[in-house]
Amino acid sequence: MIRRYRVLSFVLFCGLVISSSGDEPARPQAELRLIPLTRTVRIPVSMQEIQPTGKIPLGDPATLMVSPGAQDEPPEGPAAFDVLDDGSFLISDPLRNSVSVFDSRGKFRQAWRIGFAADSVTVGANGLILVREASTGQLHAFDLQGKLRPSEAAALPQAAEARVLTGNSGTVTVPPIGSAGGRTIEVRLDKPGLRLLSIEGLGTDSQGNTYVALETTTGGEETEGINLNKSVRKYAANGVLVCEVTDIPLDYYVTPVDELRVRKGILYQLMTGSSEVRINVWDMN
Amino acid sequence: MLSRLNFLAALIWLTSSVFGQTQPSVIARLPLTTRAEIIARAHRLANHTWVCSAPNLHASCSKSYSSDWKTGQQVTGIPYSWGGIDGPEDFDRKLAKGLAAGGHSRYGVLSCTTGIDCSGFVTYCWGIPLSSHAYGTSTLREIAGKPKYNWFTDMKPGDVLNKPGSHVVLFTGYNPDGTINVCEASGSAARVVCRKTTWSRFKGYIPLEYKGIDE
Repeated sequence: MIRRYRVLSFVLFCGLVISSSGDEPARPQAELRLIPLTRTVRIPVSMQEIQPTGKIPLGDPATLMVSPGAQDEPPEGPAAFDVLDDGSFLISDPLRNSVSVFDSRGKFRQAWRIGFAADSVTVGANGLILVREASTGQLHAFDLQGKLRPSEAAALPQAAEARVLTGNSGTVTVPPIGSAGGRTIEVRLDKPGLRLLSIEGLGTDSQGNTYVALETTTGGEETEGINLNKSVRKYAANGVLVCEVTDIPLDYYVTPVDELRVRKGILYQLMTGSSEVRINVWDMN
Repeated sequence: MLSRLNFLAALIWLTSSVFGQTQPSVIARLPLTTRAEIIARAHRLANHTWVCSAPNLHASCSKSYSSDWKTGQQVTGIPYSWGGIDGPEDFDRKLAKGLAAGGHSRYGVLSCTTGIDCSGFVTYCWGIPLSSHAYGTSTLREIAGKPKYNWFTDMKPGDVLNKPGSHVVLFTGYNPDGTINVCEASGSAARVVCRKTTWSRFKGYIPLEYKGIDE
């Protein structure tokens, strides 16, 4: 009786092994590629000071200007940027009412004296630069030489529509581009202990890859105040997750309006500090 | 030994009754307001339209003052003025008298400017009389408590996100993409604005709930 039972158990065990190996072929799960920081572009800043005469010197034009802030007033300074196709940067310099151009290594090229403080800079698909006036919200269009163009042409690109569905899932609906129709990408957060806070579509490149920023948190009642993580994912045109940049630094001195930009598969982050403006660069190609 | 303990207990009771009474009395004097009223006040300040006249570009009491505006410019939103506490009526009156529209900390707290700053804005929205700038970001905790709910999912319109010593904004709602909507007196925007924003802007901020909310 015992022997029969042992034989039966052996047969059942073998059956289980065969069925499980047949159901799920032993293929290794593709590892998500994590992208490390590629480089950092550093641009010096001038701290705004008022002289005893009451004058505020504009300082070296090759730098960007920040204000020190005060009790109940955060520091002000460059909070907006975008990247041209050749990798050079357009950065707002609101305390000087200008937009400055730096090459891809951070070398100063020129300053556009636009006459107002800008809080957003966007390189449009039609080659125009759209600059938003901080104090009115009005969009102004400039060409690549910094000349003002008719503002009728000023229209921001259509943004992707994102939706958080649960604490670990959501969707991003990419608007139609040219002849390509729109599509919806499913976003899943499979990291135990992390909760999905927000989803933001950053754009789609010419190959159809879509870049999505995620904000996540471990909780909601921290004693040290709100704490969160930010990451950016690249999804292929078929919706497959390709790679990810994790743990984007968030210790801002001047809070950015244009926090992240993607150009030609490269992710850029604007971080304005008290001594320099850093642009963190991750190559997601 | 027993008498020493009695003395200690009496001391603790006396201390708590003396210092404990200030807080309840402050709260008891707070005006009650509904969340809908708070949001309506915020939108009133953000949507207040005014025109900048030539005298409003200059601050008679400051040599270094520089205006954010241009002559004849029509602006939507009460201007940001560091240390300012002006609601729409006071602002319009002072603007008509020729005071400068708005100002930043780099020019100091000026008596010749008009507008409102971040903590003045949230206390105005909470319905607190603006006879003096009684509360800043470091003292808002006297009239607003840290809520026990989940900050990322359960904030209610009229609560604020506060970073003591730095800035405070009024929370107005969540969006389907998980971002939030806030109204604030913003130095960088030079006025009161309502806008959508991501959470990363508020790292280190603490939500607070006004103690005079009439639910």
